[in-house]
Amino acid sequence: MSDGIFRAAGVATMTRSAAVMSHKYARAGLVALGIALASSSAYADKASDTLSVAFTKELESVDSYFNSAREGVVLQRAIWDGLIYRDPKTSEYIGNLATSWKWVDDTTLELELRKGVKFHNGEDFDADDVVYTIEFVTNPANGAKTQRNVNWMKNAEKVDQYTVRIHTAGPFPAALEFLSGPVSMYPNEYYAKVGPSGMGVEPVGTGPYKVVKVEPGKHFVLEANENYFDGPKSKAKIGKIDIRTIPDINTQLAELMSGSIDFIWQLPADQAEQLALMDKFTVANESTMRIGYLTMDAIGHSKAGGPFSHQKVRQAVSHAVDRQTIVDSLLKGASKVVHSACFPSQFGCTGDVATYDYNPEKAKQLLVEAGYPDGFTVDLYAYRDPNYAQAISSYLTAVGIKANVRMLQYSALREQQMKGEVPFSLQSWASYSVNDASAIVSEFFKFGALDEAHDEEVKGWLDVADSSTDPEKRKEYYAKALNKIAEQAYWLPLFSYNANYIFTKEVSYQPTPDEVLRFVEMSWN
Amino acid sequence: MLVFAFKRLGLAILVALTVSVLSFGLLFLSGDPATAVAGEGATETDIEAISAFYGFDRPFIVQYGEWLWNAMRGDFGQSYYFQIPVASLIADRLTITMTLGVCAIIFALVIAIPLGVAAAVRPNSIVDRTALFVSVLGQAMPSFWFGLLLIVLFSIKLGWLAPSGTQNWHNFIMPTVVLGYYAMPAIMRLTRAGMLEVLHADYIRTARAKGAGEWRVLFKHALRNAIIPVVSLAAVQMGFMLGGSIVVESIFALHGAGYLAWESIARNDLPTVQALILIFSMFYIAFTFLSDLLNAWLDPRMRVA
Amino acid sequence: MMSIALTLTPEEIVGPSPMQMLRKRVFGHRGLMFGSVVLIVVFLLALFAPLLATHDPFAQDLTARMRPPVFLGGSWDHILGTDQLGRDFLSRLLYGARISLTIGFVTAIISGVIGTTMGVAAGYFGGRTDTIVTFLITTRLAMPVVLVALAVVAIFGGSLQVVILVLGFLLWDRFAVVMRAATRQIVSREYVTAARAIGCSVPRIVLSEILPNVANSLIIVVTLEMAHAILLEAALSFLGLGVQPPTPSWGLMVSEGKQMMLFNPWMITIPGIALFALVLAINLLGDGLRDVTAPENRN
Repeated sequence: MSDGIFRAAGVATMTRSAAVMSHKYARAGLVALGIALASSSAYADKASDTLSVAFTKELESVDSYFNSAREGVVLQRAIWDGLIYRDPKTSEYIGNLATSWKWVDDTTLELELRKGVKFHNGEDFDADDVVYTIEFVTNPANGAKTQRNVNWMKNAEKVDQYTVRIHTAGPFPAALEFLSGPVSMYPNEYYAKVGPSGMGVEPVGTGPYKVVKVEPGKHFVLEANENYFDGPKSKAKIGKIDIRTIPDINTQLAELMSGSIDFIWQLPADQAEQLALMDKFTVANESTMRIGYLTMDAIGHSKAGGPFSHQKVRQAVSHAVDRQTIVDSLLKGASKVVHSACFPSQFGCTGDVATYDYNPEKAKQLLVEAGYPDGFTVDLYAYRDPNYAQAISSYLTAVGIKANVRMLQYSALREQQMKGEVPFSLQSWASYSVNDASAIVSEFFKFGALDEAHDEEVKGWLDVADSSTDPEKRKEYYAKALNKIAEQAYWLPLFSYNANYIFTKEVSYQPTPDEVLRFVEMSWN
Repeated sequence: MLVFAFKRLGLAILVALTVSVLSFGLLFLSGDPATAVAGEGATETDIEAISAFYGFDRPFIVQYGEWLWNAMRGDFGQSYYFQIPVASLIADRLTITMTLGVCAIIFALVIAIPLGVAAAVRPNSIVDRTALFVSVLGQAMPSFWFGLLLIVLFSIKLGWLAPSGTQNWHNFIMPTVVLGYYAMPAIMRLTRAGMLEVLHADYIRTARAKGAGEWRVLFKHALRNAIIPVVSLAAVQMGFMLGGSIVVESIFALHGAGYLAWESIARNDLPTVQALILIFSMFYIAFTFLSDLLNAWLDPRMRVA
Repeated sequence: MMSIALTLTPEEIVGPSPMQMLRKRVFGHRGLMFGSVVLIVVFLLALFAPLLATHDPFAQDLTARMRPPVFLGGSWDHILGTDQLGRDFLSRLLYGARISLTIGFVTAIISGVIGTTMGVAAGYFGGRTDTIVTFLITTRLAMPVVLVALAVVAIFGGSLQVVILVLGFLLWDRFAVVMRAATRQIVSREYVTAARAIGCSVPRIVLSEILPNVANSLIIVVTLEMAHAILLEAALSFLGLGVQPPTPSWGLMVSEGKQMMLFNPWMITIPGIALFALVLAINLLGDGLRDVTAPENRN
């Protein structure tokens, strides 16, 4: 290897600017080394009124319209406010930046705004901010990441300084849910000046916490907003929140155990159990709105007339998997087996559908009836939870279905599924914490690229349920659709997920089932 | 010398261009980046809008040409994921990777050179055998496993070192050891071989005969000559190490360029991955080029190669 | 004369035969012996895994998860305990040996064929061929292996075949470098020049004159690259972009055990030691072979 010729290559390959840059990096590296050597340990605890929290995912942007991660929702609720607030305990809608609202007609919502609210940078909050924010995010050219959060609105109109009207694109019964969730209000002057990239680095909102430091993706520091208005969210009780991204949950755990992190969440059940035994930390478990399910290619996208186009095969799969044991021994905590294609607390969701008990004999028999006495081989695609996928695959093997687990990145799986190359997959959906069945069942069963049922009847019922303003009628039609989905076994709904929240005994916090970490609800003991 | 240097530059440019085509092309295969940009829960319309917005529907050559032209001016485009310029994203992360790389190579040299010298002074002695044994052990230890063991021992059992982060200098201890030990065996062996050769050379015998002290002979005369290939090896190793820091950074949650590369692959963040492959390659090319020049300068016979 | 001849045994006249000397060197070399023995043991374990395994390596038992090994208070039913899905650790370890060995051998063969062809061609023909091969080697060396391998596996999806192909197509550089140098040296020797002069075909010269003479260096590179490939596969699987679960790859086992490493460190220690021992054995074997076949090259 010491042969001279193999060292050929050189600096000229770098362009001038790249060379200059690399020089800069090299110098920066040495400087950083010096700083690192000189700096002393950061301290975070009750005494310094600083709570250290670990995030798992590298957040792409703090601007809440330009990220799609749980961590983003957590920051959004701390930094900004929505027009409406949904009480996480009672699920009741209360005024937040709006104090009252009424439907003028099926597609027009008029809201009275709260007076005297200021943004962190001192800008006053009024109708102009609402109109600007809504106009900006609903314009597809601006590229808001999750269009479904905003594209139900057509535009907004200023009536007077503290009154606005929001025009929806069509009748949209879940409007209040979205206005109290993902739609938060931005300062018009500041946002017009800095745009999403500026907002991502120096966020400005009205919320109970203001941002004092952002190192993109890896470090965020929040400070209590002393001037927070007297709204439905309480004021911050902890002075400073210091958030570090630590991608590996075990490293987070190691940090927690060695005392440099105070709060972690999403810890898997096994570790949480062990930690609870140690009795050094508070281990709180709460359900989340995420449910897991198996998709089966009923219309034969991946292979015309493939095994899953037979209802009996799909039912056989449903009988083959021991969901209860998976929940009891792998997910544990507040997780439950679900039978219907939605999360039980969602409006319109009913568990009163055809259910499939664990019965391998019946599964085998159904396979025989469907014409697969010797079973078949299929790829089971998954993007997370390799353990659950392996467990499911093992149950299927027992009835003769050889399911090879194929783990893919989420985007790759989704893309292949859209191309119709995924016969069978383990997936999960958290409905964006939107407490309405439309956020899941209508997302997947209305002939979109991920709809592998293409059931006219189901789609027809969902259309009615999605656009009706009569709650009873909506319930009735969601129930019809969910019933047919279960009876046909288009999906095998598996279980609801749970989250473990682990924190030091200095901290007091009561997690909520929507898996949104609320810093304002945290306090020191 | 100048001719030699220019020849090498020409070759280097060709190599770099080839690498750039490969890295760009490779990732072009990875399918529709629009889905990756859209993230979990995007609908088809979201994805179509994004595809048109970024121009993913244009031919390969056009996209490559545009990318290369911009890259040459230090502009690697916007990260799909972070929505900020890749150059500034990487600049930030490279600092950590460079710090780690420098620490690791220093660590490796500090351990390996004395071991190599000691081994060469008494071939086949206990010291020699131990040194050889250590180097063989080092080569066989999977670095991710070694890293995890260090965390279990020093962070959890003993509580001496924080398992992750970059806030303090002691955060760098474990990653440095894990990354550095891998480069150690090669350096140790080369030092030993070089020293063995030099110690048998005439001028060393002369120096000894003249009654120069043993330490003086070893360090003033012998090591100075034996160290030349070691320095160039270290430069090459440094290039390898920067590319190999992915595993170490992911274990110790160092937000460096290696970790960024891993995450970017997982998120299909094309511009970032392309830029990182190119930059890591450039580092390797630069380090080998420097070591070539160094060799050629010190030893004119090398200039023909 | 007579008397001298009578007092000496034939051996003393001719000295030990080369074969005997080699044997003596081989058996006297501790590293080589250790490496070979461990490698043979691992190979036999892998070969007879179906007979030795106490359980089906894929059979899960969700009610018997993470049982400790027998020496940490577990039961003899699962000698090395069970993993996070209640699968028998020992059985998975045995089958995992197959994965690691397969990866090592097949990768070394693929990269060996590619690298040797390129190296021999460069060394034999010289000139433009040499320039092109040198350029390819330089380009390959400039690409960060782990990063490229991760990216490729991410694109094509992880499986044993993909990992082997990716590594096979990435790790040929050392073969090419060594073979090129070795061939160059041999091509100038008289017997090769003679063979060329009498018009022997190129494949014949390469097969009968060159390859046998570079075999020593080739075997050493094979061992190095086997070890390299095994470690890389483990690292890729550890990072989640290698072979797929439920394949009992040792790297994957460390990765899965990592979840519980703070509470059950044995879950990463056992597969880690297996990996370490195998790679150590292959390296010792390679070093030993180098010492034995070409003691003057030891460095």
